[in-house]
Amino acid sequence: MSPTPTPEHEKVPPLAELPWYRRLNLLNTTLLIFVLAVIFSGSQIEGNERDLDILKNLGRFLSDFFPPDLSVLKSTGSALIETVEIAILATFFAIIISLIIALGAAQTIGPTWLVFSMRMLLNIIRTIPSLIWAVIAVAAMGANALAGVAALTLYSTGYLGKFFSEAFESVDMKVARSLRGIGADPLQSFQYGIWPHAKPLIWSHCIWMLEYNIRSASIIGYVGAGGLGLQLHAYQEFHQWDRFATVLCCILIVVTVLDFLSERIRRRIARRDGSNDALSD
Amino acid sequence: MQDKKQEPILSARGIGLQRGGRWLFRDLDLDLYAGEFLAIVGPSGVGKTTLLSCLCGMLEPSEGSVSFKLSGTSDSKPVELRRHFGIVYQDLQLIPNADLLTNVLCGRLGRFNSLNTLLGFPKKLRQEAYRLLYELGVGENPHKWAKHMSGGEKQRVAAARVLFQKPKIYFADEPVSSLDAYYAGRVLGLLRQEADEKAKPVLCVLHNAEHIQRFADIALSLNQNDPKAHKMRRVRPLNVEAQV
Repeated sequence: MSPTPTPEHEKVPPLAELPWYRRLNLLNTTLLIFVLAVIFSGSQIEGNERDLDILKNLGRFLSDFFPPDLSVLKSTGSALIETVEIAILATFFAIIISLIIALGAAQTIGPTWLVFSMRMLLNIIRTIPSLIWAVIAVAAMGANALAGVAALTLYSTGYLGKFFSEAFESVDMKVARSLRGIGADPLQSFQYGIWPHAKPLIWSHCIWMLEYNIRSASIIGYVGAGGLGLQLHAYQEFHQWDRFATVLCCILIVVTVLDFLSERIRRRIARRDGSNDALSD
Repeated sequence: MQDKKQEPILSARGIGLQRGGRWLFRDLDLDLYAGEFLAIVGPSGVGKTTLLSCLCGMLEPSEGSVSFKLSGTSDSKPVELRRHFGIVYQDLQLIPNADLLTNVLCGRLGRFNSLNTLLGFPKKLRQEAYRLLYELGVGENPHKWAKHMSGGEKQRVAAARVLFQKPKIYFADEPVSSLDAYYAGRVLGLLRQEADEKAKPVLCVLHNAEHIQRFADIALSLNQNDPKAHKMRRVRPLNVEAQV
């Protein structure tokens, strides 16, 4: 069947195009500012203006890495275990502290003054990089794994506190309110009305943080906070790049495995919310 | 069922509610006695849910007042009595990420302090909640999460939760809208039973004429054109046994 033609008296008017300034929405404006910023930052890629053969330098440096010296595998293994232990403990302590802070930082739960102060606190914690936290912790506790745990706990709290409070805020409060309505006390309405909704999201963030902390724990040893970083630092100091390569390979393997596992677990939690049937299939 | 010498359990005097400059209902008087089943009827958008919300204290009426006389309580304002109300919400308000059993058990949270329920509910209660799920045909997988159930199944879980709560008065907003004839009859039958055997008043928004005829004592119909033209009609004469 052919379409009915538009009658003559109902002629389609010409399409009115948008003027250029109407296209300047937030996305396009920020994109434009970014492009301009790239152009004005161009001077930074000039380096020190020495005529260096970058590729040759890089090749010479990397050739020192091969073949990796596997004789340090055993000590690397134990440092790796220490790194993972630092990350696990730091994540655990950060989860506990963050849960408490996030309850106050969630707009749907805490009073305004508490939300404001908790968010300020989390912002301040997040502003400081993990390496600086490690320097502070080493200064206070000495160069050991405990300093690593303390540094990463503080660093992770900044992130987990924010993520958890956002997870609590994403919960529809209607159920919690209706439970309060039938006489549930605040803890019960949290346990049954808010926590089940927020739990999958919170656990997903915890797994991500654990993965992130294992990466970070490998680095903070550079300033003396235990783990693989300590070894990396020593090998770098003595220019033992073949040993350095072995440690790097170990970090690479662990991080890749973790990344793969955590991605899969988190995706599955997000998809099925970790329901009972998800565990059985 | 009710004795007119008794005081009404729910009394509404001259209540009215204005929304966006329009009155949904006005000058509404209502007395509901022990064991009476009131059906609120009317076309979609007329204000049935709003009226139910006003009666159970979730909404403050623009004019008039609602008071209660519940046994064992000295309060009369709906806000203070909410814990004694069993409410089936139109959007059900189940906990999506909790299993069916927990959803039903939550009906009785108000009877325990948080320490008693921190690690879950007692086994005896779990069995009782399961029996209700089973009776309403959703006992096959009590450990399945509510979010994975169909609309009709969720509605039966919400009905099980309110029955498990054992409230002093029931408010149900279209509790059988997604149910087939069999389960709609079962849910309304159980509410009717609560009215008949335990003398609990039931207020229920209903659409189906057959359900109203079969289960309700009184039908209150709201009028879309005139907020004052609501009608109260006795569906079944006094003291007639319910045909459940």
